[in-house]
Amino acid sequence: MRRHRPGQKLVIYALMTVVMVFFLGPICWFILLAFRHPSEAYNLPPELFFKPYLGNFVDTFVEPGNNAPQLVNSLIVSSGATLLSLPFALSAAYALSRFAMRGKEFIMNWYISLLIAPPIVFVIPYFILMSWIGWAGSYQAMILTLQTLAIPFSVWLLKSFIDEVPLDLEEAAWVDGATRLRAFFRIIIPLALPGLIVTSMFTFVFSWNNVLFPLVLSRGSTTTLPVGTISFFASTGVYWGHIAATAVVAMLPPMIIFLLLGRYVVRGLTFGAVKG
Amino acid sequence: MTLRRRLPYLLLAPSVIILLALILYPLGFALRNSFWFWNLQTSPMPLYHSGWDNFRMVFLVTPFSEALKNTLLLAGLGTFAQFWLGMGIALLLHSHLRGMGLMRAVLIMPTTLAPVVAGFLFRYLLEPKGGILPWLLKGLGIPVPPQGFLGNAGTALFSIGLVDTWQWTPFFAIVLYAGLLSISEEIKEAAQVDGASGWRMFWSVTLPLLRPIAAFLVMIRFMQLFNSFDLVYVLTNGGPGTASRTLSFNLYREGLVNYNIGLTAAMTWLVVIIVSVIINLYLFFVFRKREW
Repeated sequence: MRRHRPGQKLVIYALMTVVMVFFLGPICWFILLAFRHPSEAYNLPPELFFKPYLGNFVDTFVEPGNNAPQLVNSLIVSSGATLLSLPFALSAAYALSRFAMRGKEFIMNWYISLLIAPPIVFVIPYFILMSWIGWAGSYQAMILTLQTLAIPFSVWLLKSFIDEVPLDLEEAAWVDGATRLRAFFRIIIPLALPGLIVTSMFTFVFSWNNVLFPLVLSRGSTTTLPVGTISFFASTGVYWGHIAATAVVAMLPPMIIFLLLGRYVVRGLTFGAVKG
Repeated sequence: MTLRRRLPYLLLAPSVIILLALILYPLGFALRNSFWFWNLQTSPMPLYHSGWDNFRMVFLVTPFSEALKNTLLLAGLGTFAQFWLGMGIALLLHSHLRGMGLMRAVLIMPTTLAPVVAGFLFRYLLEPKGGILPWLLKGLGIPVPPQGFLGNAGTALFSIGLVDTWQWTPFFAIVLYAGLLSISEEIKEAAQVDGASGWRMFWSVTLPLLRPIAAFLVMIRFMQLFNSFDLVYVLTNGGPGTASRTLSFNLYREGLVNYNIGLTAAMTWLVVIIVSVIINLYLFFVFRKREW
């Protein structure tokens, strides 16, 4: 470990303070907005200390509580998309991790090119398709189409976890007479379980934060919370208190999950390409 | 072929089949309808064959070239800024001073937000009347456009880039920091013994060793910025006028606001071609020696 001169230390801490204020200040300021009375949203110079007001949360989630069902919808769509992607991703990740096959590199690149392709290209035809087959505004329309992102992401991340399960253990099971399938369930699944959980949590967050698919494919009663926030931009004015209250609730699950994931954050955000 | 040899392909098949279905349908849909006149407001079905008209109309009735220019500018400048700012922060974190672990853990918070939420957050901060940022800048004597930064044609796109940079610089910082940790002490000591100074060390040892990670991050971020939709939608709605339209937003406007499905289909194919060219150039030039 390097040693630092006291002056150098001071400079580093000063710079880090600027960094932290720049990146966390806006979030804190927005959280404060959720607790301000709507009439105080634009008070300048800004008031750091004020009487907290819970009315914004009551209006949006309790009475009349128009956003409470959206919270449930977000949970349904994100969990649904995550659960549906897992079996597809798990079998593909196992194949890519454990078998030598021709075109492996091509397939990995293909998955990632789906992840970085513009989703708007897909979503407009889905919009028309869903109304033709009678799925317009349904949960399953969102859950199914989100797979274009959920499966490629989970394949990549899961593969990085399965790669880390020693092949010896699996081979030992085969020698003992276990079939490949049995070895998969007895060795791979338990040992890759943390990876499976981490992958599910990331897929959940990415589905939760996705706005384009629900924006286009949901209807009023199935729309998700981040999309719900948008509706407060009414022609009659912008309801900042309500926007902030719903946005704060929408930002909590991803924040909590990222804090829980701790050392896996780097790996998840890079689809397993950087171990971190 | 025996079952043993087929097994990996059988295991890949379900995911490949569902994904192929999910992408070939939209692409096929767009290919067919790009040659048909079809506005969803007037007809639930394509109306008549219109040859290459839709492709011509993309350039005539939508600001396609402007959107392409905006998109490339946003993606290029945004990725550049995020990479170097992130690198700077990664080097600060790498000082291993007390408290850096905690700072690293909370620094990632902006990246966890939904882009829509980040958009709202900055719309509030940038409000021309009552927003804290214009107020601070005015206090510092920096001129603020009367319509606000988001309502001014010269600053709207730049502001979108700034919000994205705010959101994603922490991502670069923590991943590049992880990269810095993976560089072995021996290499660094060897360079020091050879008399390499701090700067020299960074350019000739650290940076080349981070190259594989950096190449990956830059590709991901460049494309995510290239696809920018959420932030544009919330922050400027493509405006003022068409000053901050991106390709994705242009597609959205034509397809889901004007319901010009035929024209949107043609534009979809132009965008798909542009994106494939970028991805393949990148794969060819940067990833030839990759290691996954």
